[in-house]
Amino acid sequence: MTSKLTFKKRLASSVVALSMALGPQAASAEEGVTFGVLVPLTGELGEFGKIVANGVQLAVNQINDEGGTSCGPIRTVVADTGGNPETGIREASKMIESESAVAILGPTSGVMVALADLAKRTETMLMSPYAGTITLNELGGDFVFRTVASDLGDGAVSGLWLEERGYKSVAFLIQNEESTISPAEIAKSAVEDAGIELTDYIVYNPGQPSYQAELISVLAHNPDAIYLAGGQNSSVTVIKEATAGGFEGEWLFTADLAVPEVFDLIGAELLNDRAFVEQADSDPSLPEYQAYSELHQSKTDGEDPGPFSANSYDMANLVALAMEASGECTGAGINSKIRDVAHEGDVVTTFAEGRAALQQGAEINYEGASGPVAFDETGTVTSPYTVSAAKDGVWVLEKFYPASTFIE
Amino acid sequence: MNIEQLILATATFGSLFAVMTVCLNIQYARGGMINFGTVAYFAVGAYTYAIFTHEPPSGLDRYVFGFDFPWYIGFLAAGIASLLFAVLTGWPTLRLRGEYLALTTFAFAEVLHSVLLNERRLGNGSVGLSNVERIDFTQFGLADKYGYALAAVLLLIATIVLCRRILASPYGRAVDAIRDDEVAAQSVGKDVQRMRFEVFLISALPIGFAGALYAMITTLVNPMLFTAEVTFFVWIALVLGGERTIKGAVLGTIALVAFEELIRNFHFESVRGAEIASSIEHMMTGVIFILVLRLQPFEKIKTWRAAQ
Repeated sequence: MTSKLTFKKRLASSVVALSMALGPQAASAEEGVTFGVLVPLTGELGEFGKIVANGVQLAVNQINDEGGTSCGPIRTVVADTGGNPETGIREASKMIESESAVAILGPTSGVMVALADLAKRTETMLMSPYAGTITLNELGGDFVFRTVASDLGDGAVSGLWLEERGYKSVAFLIQNEESTISPAEIAKSAVEDAGIELTDYIVYNPGQPSYQAELISVLAHNPDAIYLAGGQNSSVTVIKEATAGGFEGEWLFTADLAVPEVFDLIGAELLNDRAFVEQADSDPSLPEYQAYSELHQSKTDGEDPGPFSANSYDMANLVALAMEASGECTGAGINSKIRDVAHEGDVVTTFAEGRAALQQGAEINYEGASGPVAFDETGTVTSPYTVSAAKDGVWVLEKFYPASTFIE
Repeated sequence: MNIEQLILATATFGSLFAVMTVCLNIQYARGGMINFGTVAYFAVGAYTYAIFTHEPPSGLDRYVFGFDFPWYIGFLAAGIASLLFAVLTGWPTLRLRGEYLALTTFAFAEVLHSVLLNERRLGNGSVGLSNVERIDFTQFGLADKYGYALAAVLLLIATIVLCRRILASPYGRAVDAIRDDEVAAQSVGKDVQRMRFEVFLISALPIGFAGALYAMITTLVNPMLFTAEVTFFVWIALVLGGERTIKGAVLGTIALVAFEELIRNFHFESVRGAEIASSIEHMMTGVIFILVLRLQPFEKIKTWRAAQ
């Protein structure tokens, strides 16, 4: 018994000593205001996570360089979710509890849905530049926002593109995920309404070593095009196997493949002049986008902004402006003003402009690099879309669809 | 670093996973059954809880059942469903031994995962069920984070008490006898099939409750949360902590979760830092696993304490 007590006492004193040693560091780190950046840095969506985190960081650096917010400089803490909702909850809880983060920025669809309840309970702003899931159409609007349109828009633009391209027959291959199935169903309706023959509609599970079984029927019907809504890992195998199986038609991909890495993974020769990708994107002719593009290039050795980069930049600026407008350094303050700063008032295109206007008592309407970002009742914006073509191993803009195309 | 947050997260998730490890310990170390499908009983508990407490479908929902019962009905249903799933899977499989049983239980778990992923009418398919009903601990004057940590620890204590009482009883010794020598146990009148089946059922019940609590904490059930990775995590924890003792099973799990939480407690201000931390987490887990197996520190602590 004595030895047990001694052991327990030693254990308890060790914990106390550790707490004392590490505690003060947490207190001294809390300066200014903290934004949590919660993105997938590993896994299938890792490339997107890096783009989003860098977009947020560019905005935060710019804000801090211009004097910071009235709450002080913005500090970011970055964590990887790997796309896993449980990891997302654990990391977000730590950001809120340990780092006093007032906003969590950048989760993907699945993680965003898992965090919606936590955000509302802890009154923390939750915002994503690429979570298009239709589940957020029900959960969003209060502490849960996104600077990208719902996935239903991706479906609409895909359907429109397939029709405009003049295909007579199309096959659909869809990864079994909500973010790919919902837009595919919208695109399917559009294809059927346009009188295009739908030769196959196949939902497949990712993670298989081969998709030959799914492709047998598709290849037998030899469609003019295949609409492929899948993640990077599964799509690489599907495209290679379909090409090896004799498919010579065209492809339409969804945004998961809108990154330059696909040309290395698949091989540019399999994609050039026959593959297209649709995504919610910014209007490249906007002066604000061009200014952002220049800023991005100047900070990244000449790299163009990737998919959702401008949306990420705008997201961080919006949150900072909402904080300025509310005069509160809290999630609740941000939530109370996030709609107002992007709705009606003087049009501003940067944080500095917005802060100056707010200080003069004006109402502001932030329109940033990704265009207007007015939120609807579900906390979602209306995005423009682009379709890009694979040419010489890169994605080249083929067609721009302004947001007004999809507003009824 | 926030020590309180670290302790709370370790207590919450460590206790939840330790419930599974303790139950696996009973099945494997005492009952001699290799169950590679532990996650399935956890998933059944979580999904049952979500279905029983979720509102009926509306709008874009694809699921068919949502009974909108209060949390305690869902919690009880989760344990019962896990028990029934154990009946369903245990009845045809427990005549198998060793690696055959391991493969069959693994296959059952994969079948369940596939059903949950593809059958949208059951749990909304790959979307899952979000906004799952949870206990509001604030009405008891307790912050949620403390409430759930306490609930998880209490569930673990209840599981340990249940398992200890069973194992310390004559029934537990009969279970040990079956594990050590089935033929000898049979020769003195022990019904081997029945006892193995009973141990399998008893250990499924707390796992179902743990699943329900997990659903409350994450407020989401989704096939992505219930992959074979959970089973392997529990097995690694059991091996780390040492088989045959409940204390070892609990310590192994808590140590593994604490390590994960410790790594994640360091937040990075740059993308590169977070990327590197994420990459080394799995590497470090592997290294520690090898070191623990090689150096057996828990055995050494045991020896040291015995010598005091």
